[in-house]
Amino acid sequence: MDKEKAVIEFLMTCPKIQGTPLYFNFANAANNTKQLITMANEKALHRPYIDGSVHKRYTLTLIDFKSVAYQPIVSAAISSNENLEDFLQVQDIIDWVDGQNELRNYPNFGQDCYIENMTVLSDSPDLNGVDTKSNPALAKYSISIQIDYLDESKVIWK
Amino acid sequence: MASTLNLALHERAQRKSLITVAEWETPGEGNTSVQHREILGRRVEDSSIELNPDIQTSTDILGITYSDVAKTEPQQTLDPAYIMGGSDLSSYLSDAMLENNIAAYNGRFNVYIISAFIGDATNGYKAVKHSGCSIIPTSIGGDAYVAMPLEIHFSNDITKGTVDKLSDDFVFTADVTI
Repeated sequence: MDKEKAVIEFLMTCPKIQGTPLYFNFANAANNTKQLITMANEKALHRPYIDGSVHKRYTLTLIDFKSVAYQPIVSAAISSNENLEDFLQVQDIIDWVDGQNELRNYPNFGQDCYIENMTVLSDSPDLNGVDTKSNPALAKYSISIQIDYLDESKVIWK
Repeated sequence: MASTLNLALHERAQRKSLITVAEWETPGEGNTSVQHREILGRRVEDSSIELNPDIQTSTDILGITYSDVAKTEPQQTLDPAYIMGGSDLSSYLSDAMLENNIAAYNGRFNVYIISAFIGDATNGYKAVKHSGCSIIPTSIGGDAYVAMPLEIHFSNDITKGTVDKLSDDFVFTADVTI
């Protein structure tokens, strides 16, 4: 089973990702564009068990580009600050992933792989930087999603 | 006569090819009983069958040392052994442990040790059956997930034979001694 395709199909059910441009590895960055970046998953972290199954980890990063507003936070208008609203939209993605984990609703890695846990590696989005050369300027938020699963494809006991 | 390994020259037998399977019965409807079988060792990284030999040594006046094994008390520890969905053994032993039902452990299990590195699907895989073993949970708890470490005490009441397949519905065929 292609895990990248499974994860893409799964993430596209997220309300904050649906309907927005979603790129894989390469992105034409613009406001609200999202980019999935694959990460090499170290084989050294694999944990084999005596029955032939192996505990593995799949990790990827989701980048969310948001246009920057040159807008100070004024206490009376805090709820309408664009930068804060954009940040909270990315936060919603984190909360959605956590919620799906609670419901044990996971991507489909195939019948030989059993997903045990899916978690975002931080409680809040990481601001990687702001590209002021683009127009409008773009803030780049990232969240990393880690999926722990049991690969039973090499188990000989059926 | 020694068994023939189904391994290439210098190939090591993978740990997954040494399989321990527990078999036990629980009451069914009426006077029937339900047979259960379950492979042991899911999510266990390391476990060995310890023979615990009782070795008696003596040295004669010529300086020759003799070592005799008086007996063995084979035992295998599975730690961690998590309570897992779909595991009949988890269900059976956790009930027994929480109710302190010692009779549920003692001599209630047949345990098969299957050497999948000897034999094949056509002729069967070498297996020995220990009848009347005890599988004993030693604790319950842990950190993130509920673990119930187990000790398997083999009976040494052994029947040698083969199994026809590597799944819970195997048929064990005892060797015939003529």
